[in-house]
Amino acid sequence: MIEVQHLTKRYGPVTAVDDISFRVEQGEILGFLGPNGAGKTTTMRILTGYMPATDGKAIVAGFDVFAKPIDAKARTGYLPETPPLYPDMTVREYLTFVAKLKMPKKTTAADRRARVEAIMKKTFVDDMAARHCGKLSKGYRQRVGLAQALIHDPEVLILDEPTAGLDPKQIIETRDLVRSLKGDHTVVLSTHILPEVAQTCERVVIINKGRVVAVDTPENLTRQLRGSSSLYVQVDVTGGDAHATLRSVPGVTKVDVADRHEGFVGYELHAEQQRDVRRDVARAIVDRGMGLLEMRPMRMSLEDIFLQLTTNEQSAPGEAPTPAGQAAEGGSHA
Amino acid sequence: MRNALAIAGKELRGYFASPIGWVICGLFSLIFGWFFYTYLEYFVRNSMQSDMGQGGPMNINLSLIRPLFSNATVIILFVLPSITMRTYSEEKRSGTIELLLTSPVTDWEIIIGKFLGAMGLYCSMLAATMVYMAILFAYGQPEWKPLVAGYLGLVLMGGCFISMGLFISSLTKNQIIAGIATFIAGLMFWVINWLGDNASPTTAAILSYLSITEHFDDFAKGVVDTKHLIFYLSFIAFGLFLTSKSVDTERWKG
Repeated sequence: MIEVQHLTKRYGPVTAVDDISFRVEQGEILGFLGPNGAGKTTTMRILTGYMPATDGKAIVAGFDVFAKPIDAKARTGYLPETPPLYPDMTVREYLTFVAKLKMPKKTTAADRRARVEAIMKKTFVDDMAARHCGKLSKGYRQRVGLAQALIHDPEVLILDEPTAGLDPKQIIETRDLVRSLKGDHTVVLSTHILPEVAQTCERVVIINKGRVVAVDTPENLTRQLRGSSSLYVQVDVTGGDAHATLRSVPGVTKVDVADRHEGFVGYELHAEQQRDVRRDVARAIVDRGMGLLEMRPMRMSLEDIFLQLTTNEQSAPGEAPTPAGQAAEGGSHA
Repeated sequence: MRNALAIAGKELRGYFASPIGWVICGLFSLIFGWFFYTYLEYFVRNSMQSDMGQGGPMNINLSLIRPLFSNATVIILFVLPSITMRTYSEEKRSGTIELLLTSPVTDWEIIIGKFLGAMGLYCSMLAATMVYMAILFAYGQPEWKPLVAGYLGLVLMGGCFISMGLFISSLTKNQIIAGIATFIAGLMFWVINWLGDNASPTTAAILSYLSITEHFDDFAKGVVDTKHLIFYLSFIAFGLFLTSKSVDTERWKG
């Protein structure tokens, strides 16, 4: 449904998007993840035909966005970072105007009106239909923006941070709405809220500094990157060498001091993959006469993965065999 | 074309949904009315004198409508920049340009739409002045043909200012800058022939040809000359062409 090949965008000497390639299948929801300034918005603007790329190709709904922009745009709905509303128009007037631009020209006025009413219901803005867009709260603005993107029932939906600025209840409603589009629409949404990706998206593209660092499902990313499972252990160290004891437990590969207090120390243990060392660790400590104060698994959240991927890239740009590098390669060929 | 009309409709509604359209129309009518009143008073006084045998007979077209039209060009020069200054600037500043540029609409449809929208407001401004003309018809016998020519000239001349304003507005996000620059540019095209006074005959001819108002004189007299029509129409087309280039360049710059 969306195919991006070697897309590059340069603004003078600055490369905003650097040789990005990915595919989105029909009916899929793809999350576009990256820190601010990573090139998310630029990529989306290229996909929607707002600006041309310096190099590379983008095919949306079967049409090359550079060669056949009108056909591609007619099949794309786009919610920019700031919803493009005209403050002097009422919500209904605004959506009617957008419908005139975006819906097929043979649509009758009655159909158009019906569609505007239906989309206002769907996006929960029908109670504000007669309000001027300039007087709407941020949440309503965002949802009118979403209504605008959906009005012509596009095959492809591109949403630039659809939940930014919403309150928690609105975020949930918007997420449910996006999820309900799955199957009928192909959705690309960008965000820097990670749980959102885990909850709404089937696949994630993580980009940083204009490059794709990983493409995978949220679950796979978490699994791949966990590598070794780690454990937090707090020990009352009076009367024993906790470090050596922990080190000697079979299966433990690495022991780091996480925090140090008077009388007790917190350690971070790394164990071999798929091996549960908790019983052995507990027994070893207690057997040496030390007190085990706390033990809990340290899971890598999407946040950690994200940070790891986006900071790895910065500190060691040339080093490929990180899990991140593998993920990127695996993903781009998928 | 339907897209262009949809955009023109949106533009026109935009002018009247905010105070801008009403204020511009109101002020224009006010100043035009003031000119109308002073010329009318002058005309009445003089025709009374000519009735008493001093001077020749008075012609309402020649001594009232013609100078009134010439004065209208000055008002238009001041007023039109405030119509065109927001056309592109405001869309760029508020980000709504993103909606237009990602809709299945060509750049030309947007430009034509915006041009027609501004022309719509301008023509309604001119339409309001027809009330004054109606007064003349009620109490006198002016000729209607020169009047039509005059209005045609005003519409075309305004079209030039609008097309130029559209181009200037597409260059900047700041509508104040767009407005002032359009006014200055309009003033330049208005007074450009003054330079010709001390120039060589060829230069003077070129400069006077470029002057927007110079071409209006014949229209005010009631003469519709193809030479002037072509000048105005090509001026408008050139302005719109520059706008399309500017929008396209903006795209590449991002």
